[in-house]
Amino acid sequence: MTAQEIGVQLKNDLEIRIAKVFSVFDVHSDNFIDTRNIGNVLRILGCAPTEKEVHEIMLATESAEEPGETHLSKFIAHITKLLMDEAMKPASSDEILDAFKVLDPENKLYLTKEYFGKLMSEDGEPFNEEEMADMWAVAIDPITDNIPYEFYINQLKHKTDLYDMAYQVKDQIARAEKDRRRPDRMRSRTHFAN
Amino acid sequence: MLRSCVCLRSESTKRRSSSVEDASSCRSSEIERVGASMQTTTLGPNGQPQPVAAQTTTRASSLLQLFQRKGWCKHFRKPLRGMSASRAEKTIRAAIFIQKWYRQHQARREMQKRCNWQIFQNLEYASEQDQAELYKFFNDLIKNMPQAAATGNKYHQNSRISILEEDGELVEEAGDIVSTRIELPITKNDIDRLIDVFRKKKGNRLHPKYVAMILREGARCLKQMPNIVMVSTAVSQQVTVCGDLHGKLDDLLVVLYKNGLPSTSNPYVFNGDFVDRGKKGLEVLLLLLSLYLAFPNSVFLNRGNHEDSVMNARYGFSREVESKYPRNYKQLLLLIDEVYRWLPLGSVLNSRVLIVHGGFSDSTSLDLIKSIDRGKYVSILRPPVTDGEPLDKTEWQQIFDIMWSDPQSMQGCKPNTLRGAGVWFGPDVTETFLKRHRLNYVIRSHECKPNGHEFMHDNKVITIFSASNYYAMGSNKGAYMRLNNQLMPHFVQYISAASQTKRLSFRQRMGIVESSALKELAVRMRDHRDELELEFQKCDPDGSGHITISKWCCVMESVTKLGLPWRLLRDKLAPGTDSQSVNYVTTLDLLDTDVIMEAEADGTTVMDALYANKSSLVTIFNIIDADNSGEITLDEFETAIDLLVAHMPGVYSKEEMLEKCRMMDLNGDGKVDLNEFLEAFRLSDLHRKQQQEEDMRRRSTHRTIQNPSDSVTKLANAISKNTAVVEQDIDPTDCEADAVDPK
Repeated sequence: MTAQEIGVQLKNDLEIRIAKVFSVFDVHSDNFIDTRNIGNVLRILGCAPTEKEVHEIMLATESAEEPGETHLSKFIAHITKLLMDEAMKPASSDEILDAFKVLDPENKLYLTKEYFGKLMSEDGEPFNEEEMADMWAVAIDPITDNIPYEFYINQLKHKTDLYDMAYQVKDQIARAEKDRRRPDRMRSRTHFAN
Repeated sequence: MLRSCVCLRSESTKRRSSSVEDASSCRSSEIERVGASMQTTTLGPNGQPQPVAAQTTTRASSLLQLFQRKGWCKHFRKPLRGMSASRAEKTIRAAIFIQKWYRQHQARREMQKRCNWQIFQNLEYASEQDQAELYKFFNDLIKNMPQAAATGNKYHQNSRISILEEDGELVEEAGDIVSTRIELPITKNDIDRLIDVFRKKKGNRLHPKYVAMILREGARCLKQMPNIVMVSTAVSQQVTVCGDLHGKLDDLLVVLYKNGLPSTSNPYVFNGDFVDRGKKGLEVLLLLLSLYLAFPNSVFLNRGNHEDSVMNARYGFSREVESKYPRNYKQLLLLIDEVYRWLPLGSVLNSRVLIVHGGFSDSTSLDLIKSIDRGKYVSILRPPVTDGEPLDKTEWQQIFDIMWSDPQSMQGCKPNTLRGAGVWFGPDVTETFLKRHRLNYVIRSHECKPNGHEFMHDNKVITIFSASNYYAMGSNKGAYMRLNNQLMPHFVQYISAASQTKRLSFRQRMGIVESSALKELAVRMRDHRDELELEFQKCDPDGSGHITISKWCCVMESVTKLGLPWRLLRDKLAPGTDSQSVNYVTTLDLLDTDVIMEAEADGTTVMDALYANKSSLVTIFNIIDADNSGEITLDEFETAIDLLVAHMPGVYSKEEMLEKCRMMDLNGDGKVDLNEFLEAFRLSDLHRKQQQEEDMRRRSTHRTIQNPSDSVTKLANAISKNTAVVEQDIDPTDCEADAVDPK
């Protein structure tokens, strides 16, 4: 996929990466996706937004001319800034473990299906039936019917270099900005010398 | 996870495309429930998504948001009862934390689904592009042989006419033939008996004379229809439209089961692509023709781009007929050609709705199409049969456009480079076209959709696709549409052989679709296996067997020329690889596994198809042989080969062909007759096949020296297991169907 082919200027590796994931949902190859797929795009990229964060982005990037659709350029512009600010960064395994520990004050090292199920389907940003079914497929120990959460955490580890990439791009931009300013000072100096 | 469904769309009137892109398990209960249980995505009154609450970021207010959304009571009711407020807060925070972490994982599944879909579509269109190349080749050939254009393509028209009149010499087939007899005129009883025979798993065949009878009588009756058939709901008050069936007899039987047999009060329009890809194309075609013969005023058949012998040679239908009737297939294929050339090109419903297979372009004129002698177009990809008249390229283009075009979201009209034929037409083209012809909207097919149907262009273009499980078991639903007297559409979605998918978990179903996608992709990659190896090695001067991910993606894309999300496919196509680099040897090893090689042997390449399609070669010869002398010069032959190689490179080597031709020219007069011409192709083809076998032998010996890695073997076994087909008798009641609320 080249910049010319898709008709949108991609200025760096980060934008290319975003465009590639975006294109998976671009059904008609016209650089638009259904706005409701934004959550998917973000998560596949490697971000871990809350549903609320997804909504904010949906609202901010939805096209005015084509309601219900989001264009690649607007999406890139909005997201690159967020990524460089390290928004929606996925938690480390330790942080997730801490979250589970909050739910397991007696330190049993597992949660019951009943408790966890109720929590996940009724509180926070609840899962719907389909999401619950998907979760049980990986989370539950079929023999004890419990969730041994440490094991679960290890099952679903997923590393990403997205934020490293964002950092590098941010760095490049900052340095390019510095270089842009420097020649003025150089010029005035040489002028003096002459 | 796209937790949305069609019913949500009804609130929005300005959507560009109301496709339901949720290819996930859109279970029937979900459709009703989804509206009620939408918990995270809400649509405001104007149909735009809204955040659930105001944009604040502190924790306390986020709790407030949750309360506002769900109601105070529900929140503090169960798990948080008896806790202090701060403890409750911590718990909810932890829940959100875990939920967002888990959703990240789940999104990968959605991605896999999408990737699989993209693979299937890309492969399908890439293959179609090859076919369309033939059309362009012929165009070029005619352009370069000006005498040919002037004098026309002298085909043996006489032999075609006799096919319809006489009883050809049909011979007895070996093996099981059912004792069922069919007599004209065909009645409803015959239909029931035919369905009973056809729905049995393979081995159950009609006597070839009845097959010929249905085909011949079908063609004879279709010949009397106009190019564009007028359909009216005046008597029936409604009509049902079906899209592509592609040899899926089970889907056709589901439709007939759920919607009833055709009758005066229950008319049907079938919008093309009855054959190819599915295994029961002949049964579908025969059943449709029988329904047409039994209920002639209630069944309307439109031609699709697969009602074409050139396509059938590539996409499996010709092979299907040959394997079912090995002693009579040539005769039967000629009769099938007759059916094809006389199929109407489209229908108009109540003078308001156009039904064609593909679409239209900015130059489509229904008046022109109505005036064409459609019988000339035995194949749409070959120049039409003419009787010494010059070829009318405008006319040919018109037919192409309605058979091959696709709608696009952007404005304008441009050549359809994805398929290689027809155009992409935008909403502005639709508007102009509808206005010019005083139509309300268009129904078309031609493209597979996850839910069997899709609206585009402000609901003025409806795609209807009736083959469920088209790419793989569980890949998509099929649908049919019913229109009432006011022509309001109403859809029924279904999956046939539902019990096979229902008993599997979501994961297993995904696994099957994914395995099918990988298998098809790997077969396609095998075409370029040596080139891939060469390019990989170029990137790996140290011979370590590892290259960077970027380089791997680059090579894959440039060699296969498929615009797929390679980075996302990496861990499937280079199994056992880590996250930093790619062990490309595993990619090559995967291509050499038994399951992939067997799948390759099963398929037909474009060159196999070209040779198998002797008519095409004869046509080429006739075009070159402008003075109808029965001979062409070696120079003229060379020009033709140049063009062929330009359009379909890398397969026939020009030198080889010329060499063979010179060998053929026994009397050394520098001329070649038809038989020598065909023989040259045959020998080239033979040589090419020998080369292939040689390559395969070389690779399998190489393989026994170095065993493929465990991860490759594991993946190959998974693919093999997941794509194993279990044949059963068709049971149309074994379906999962649900009606979609009308817009």
